[in-house]
Amino acid sequence: MNNSIDVLTLFLFNIILVNIPLLYGTVGEIVIEKAGSLNLGVEGTMAVGAIFGYLAGCAANSLVVGLLVAFLAAGLCGLLFAVLTVSFQANQNVTGITITTFGLGLYFFVGKGMGDNWPAMVEHSALVEGFAPLNIPGLSSIPVLGKALFSHNILVYLGIAIAVAVWWYLSCTMTGLKLRSVGENPGAADSVGVNITRYKYIHLVLGSGIMGLGGFYMALNMSGSFEGSNCWINGYGWIAVALVIFANWNPVMAILGTLVFGFFNTLQIYAGALAGAFPNALSWLNAVPPHLFKALPFLITAIVLIVSSIRAKEGSGQPAALGLNYFREER
Amino acid sequence: MKRQEPLFRIVKRDTARPGQQILAYVAAVAIALVIGALMLLSLGVDPLDFYKRIITLGIPDSKFPARIVENFIKLFVPLLLTSLALALAFKMRFWNIGGEGQFIMGAILASVAALKLGGTLPKPLMILVMALCGMVGGGLYGVFVAALKVRFNTNETLLTLMLNYVALYLLRFFGETAGEWNFFLDPASPRPKFIKFPENARMITFDLGGFQLNLSLIIAIALCVLIFVYLKYTKQGYEVAVVGDSPNTARYAGMKVSRIVVRTIFMSAALIGLAGAFSVSSAGILSASVTNNVGWTGIVVAWLAKLNTVGIVVSSLLITVLQFGCQNASTTFASIDANFADLIQGIILFAVLAADFFTRFQVVRTKSTKEVSK
Repeated sequence: MNNSIDVLTLFLFNIILVNIPLLYGTVGEIVIEKAGSLNLGVEGTMAVGAIFGYLAGCAANSLVVGLLVAFLAAGLCGLLFAVLTVSFQANQNVTGITITTFGLGLYFFVGKGMGDNWPAMVEHSALVEGFAPLNIPGLSSIPVLGKALFSHNILVYLGIAIAVAVWWYLSCTMTGLKLRSVGENPGAADSVGVNITRYKYIHLVLGSGIMGLGGFYMALNMSGSFEGSNCWINGYGWIAVALVIFANWNPVMAILGTLVFGFFNTLQIYAGALAGAFPNALSWLNAVPPHLFKALPFLITAIVLIVSSIRAKEGSGQPAALGLNYFREER
Repeated sequence: MKRQEPLFRIVKRDTARPGQQILAYVAAVAIALVIGALMLLSLGVDPLDFYKRIITLGIPDSKFPARIVENFIKLFVPLLLTSLALALAFKMRFWNIGGEGQFIMGAILASVAALKLGGTLPKPLMILVMALCGMVGGGLYGVFVAALKVRFNTNETLLTLMLNYVALYLLRFFGETAGEWNFFLDPASPRPKFIKFPENARMITFDLGGFQLNLSLIIAIALCVLIFVYLKYTKQGYEVAVVGDSPNTARYAGMKVSRIVVRTIFMSAALIGLAGAFSVSSAGILSASVTNNVGWTGIVVAWLAKLNTVGIVVSSLLITVLQFGCQNASTTFASIDANFADLIQGIILFAVLAADFFTRFQVVRTKSTKEVSK
């Protein structure tokens, strides 16, 4: 019986450990979408942040340097997006998809180009220790929940802190209010003196930077091993785009959404183990194809999109000017 | 109260300047190639040698040059058709980024036809049935979104994006789940593996002295001509242009905008499904990576071509050369990844997007009040 409790604990633990990058990606994208920009380059931005953050973190043997470089490298992708869509009025969908293509291309170019010089994470103590679990005194000794919730690495808590901070910034500060007005009605915001261009630039860089941190997290979670065929990000960037909708553009809801999507994501891996641990209650899990769990986040989001558009409800957090470029002369 | 006026403002240009646009394109490609060359040099690879291998597609070194061209066509046709179809949707400002999903649905349905009816029908009829199934599969998967868009104003960009992954995991489910019912798999293989199509479900080819000309290439080019004529000379094509320009104008002119959108998106998605059907039929087998990313690359191609039909033929040809050539060149240079093509493609598009600004807009210096009073 003890063994089955262990499986359950490990399952819950991994829901958080493996899926926190989704939260970083989602919160970053929420910041950007609240400014009225639809950046479909999450996957590429995360990949760029991941690889440069990891390499810099190894070179300096420092977790902080890794985080900083991941933020900056991904922020540069955001800056590129801002220059093209805000200053040069390029189509946002096309620009975002190109950032993904370009970012993944760059990821593989750098990774494969490093060849045998690729640094191994185990040789860099600062990264290994930085990513090691921290046991919160007292709380972490609670059975099951202690391990599942309160014995994670510091980046897990950082991600949650960023989500809460962004929520506070968006809903409780004056700048956040102005930012939301840019996403809802840039013409009106402009007329009361909000500098649309500056707001979009700053938040595109900020949001992309946050995504980059998520990419860096994934690099560490994969123990920094570069595989020629599979990118570390492995579609998480696209799930993050879906999660933004599922979370109704609310960073705190994104924490919950990460747990829900993460539940399915991890269930797909643990289905067999769980069915084995609880043969009476969960043996049906063996009969469910893992692909269903993989598809569920997208399927749920598609249904949310359809239902919310049919109901056209007032409470939707989708910015009204999402994906539209603002051109002052057409106000 | 003093307010600082900006030094310049931006206005839209009235006239298109094709000469400058071509110049901008050449410059964009040149910039991408120079940046690419610097990156190659940084890894100690001779860029000229690498680029030469891209452009020649490895034909000079090959014992079977005809086979290389045949494989090139197998990549080119799906990209051409998908780009053409996406441009049709983009013309109506319907941001269909669900090319991947529509392609997969077309491929799956065409495979169902091939595996269920294969062997019972004569070859030309079989290919026709597969093509129709592909069009129905892709078309329905797309038109469903268009209907929601016109009825409830559902966000089509996000919805088509989600449906891509639903389709992808459905395809993987068929490819990786062993079972009595699963006729997609090869029963002889111990591990789940897609089964090959019967001979009469494989794309018709014409033997031209050792070179097998793929029928799908001829059909794709014919479709390009048809779409060109459709958009330029028919009433429906005119409607597409008006709705894309301004739905309100179209409504005022008495056009049924919803019907036009739904009809055009069905055509667009059906064409993508057709591309999927051609792709599996040419390969003779379904595969988890059947799309080869054409749903994404097609967006790039359509945009590079400014949604212009002739431009799409040219740009999809060039992008296929880049992708196919890079794959070939990267086999020679171990340090260069095959995805190098994506990198170059990205830089080209960034440069084009930036250059577009200068052909679409004009930067005008603001006259300050002081200057006026002088």
